[in-house]
Amino acid sequence: MIEDLFELERLAYGTSPIHRLDARVKLLVTFGAIIALVAYPVHSSIYHVSLIFALLLGLLLAISRVPLRSFIKRVLVILPFGLSILLFQLLFPPVAFPTTTVLADLPFGLTLTAEALSKASMIGVRFVLCIGFIVLLSSTTRIQDLLVGARRLGFPSEFTLILGMMTRYLFVFGQLFLRVRNALSTRCFDPFDRSLPYRYRIRQLGNTIGMVFIRSYEQGERTYMAMLCRGYGKDAFLFVPKKPLARSEWGALLACMVVVIGCPLAIHALSV
Amino acid sequence: MHIPDSFMPITQGAVYWIIALIFIALALRWVKNELSEEKVPLVAVLAAGVFALQAFNLPVTMGTSGHLVGGALVAIVLGSPFAAIFVLSLVLIVQGVLFGDGGITVMGANIINMGVIGGFVGYYGYHGLLSVTRNIYASAACAAWLACIIPALAASVELALAGTFPLVPGMISMGIYHAVIGLIEGGITAVVLGLISSARPDILESAGGIPA
Repeated sequence: MIEDLFELERLAYGTSPIHRLDARVKLLVTFGAIIALVAYPVHSSIYHVSLIFALLLGLLLAISRVPLRSFIKRVLVILPFGLSILLFQLLFPPVAFPTTTVLADLPFGLTLTAEALSKASMIGVRFVLCIGFIVLLSSTTRIQDLLVGARRLGFPSEFTLILGMMTRYLFVFGQLFLRVRNALSTRCFDPFDRSLPYRYRIRQLGNTIGMVFIRSYEQGERTYMAMLCRGYGKDAFLFVPKKPLARSEWGALLACMVVVIGCPLAIHALSV
Repeated sequence: MHIPDSFMPITQGAVYWIIALIFIALALRWVKNELSEEKVPLVAVLAAGVFALQAFNLPVTMGTSGHLVGGALVAIVLGSPFAAIFVLSLVLIVQGVLFGDGGITVMGANIINMGVIGGFVGYYGYHGLLSVTRNIYASAACAAWLACIIPALAASVELALAGTFPLVPGMISMGIYHAVIGLIEGGITAVVLGLISSARPDILESAGGIPA
């Protein structure tokens, strides 16, 4: 994830229309799309909704000119845990379906039923699309813009101030992590090396992790002192000047919201 | 253990979000009142460090790898479960919004599992065991192990309530997997605590984590 962090920031400095769009619009559309997808009932018409959302995602991706390779790579990194839940979903259908059609008998007394398969695939499609929207958001928006956008949307100032401080130091510690990892490998230390005693490997890793912890604590102390010197106190807050959305941005927001809210409602009304 | 979007109905996600927000508010109040002066920046920067520290791959037996969650460690070192809630909420928000690791609608559930449950279990497990065994490292390791397995079990119960995960096989598999990872987490936590108490003992003393 740390390696992705630097790639993310590089991608976010693009110049496409999606990159230039106000962060508020992107935040609202992304969260709206995810909430709409999750709120849609698990019903076979979810495939139509998913198709429309996938087309929207594809269109936005094409406009943003984010390289497809890095987009797919970042989506794939997130999948394993969800897929393992889906596998369980397939093998042990949790809700007793009224009728089950057995597709295949598996060893250990497990069965694969058509109902479980269709439910798992519906959840799976939704899951991949949700990750796609998040990955698109973070690879087209700088972290600082996200925070300013969140502040303008009315997030409490305390919260954005803290998150802002944290995200600024993410890169410092990302670099620290990479340096530490290089240092370990130049000394031929590999935590997965089975020829070393296990206790030794844990002790070395523990010391390394403890070092990162102490360094981040000390960085925190230095930052805090420096902020005190510059007048930080109880009433400090992140000042963000007001900025109205341009007419084209309103247009983009409305168009996306019509798709994100209108399509699921229309499809739901037609199919039930 | 990061539950992704679409595995939980939106209404249940909203309930977990509300509970998580209450705990985040309590954690914010703790940082303002209990830590001397206004040490919010310190904890915020520490959260960035915890994010990096989670990137270390730990060797788990049988060829799998895991990574530290760190809730118990933060709670023990800073001397309050609210520290863990504060730090882990920040880390989970960044992971969810920037990387998609852990969903947006279920982020409340993730904060409850890893921050609230992990922090409280880690902190009170540590202090309870410490008063019985009088051994800092053994009780820290046990508390970290508990703070790894109990949130995993909580996550499997939440997923079972959401109807996407079978309860018993799910709890068995999640429990066994995290029991193994928890052993490493416990070992690492004990080593880190040992390092901190020899390199920067004042961190532990000032926060009132460990009686000297």
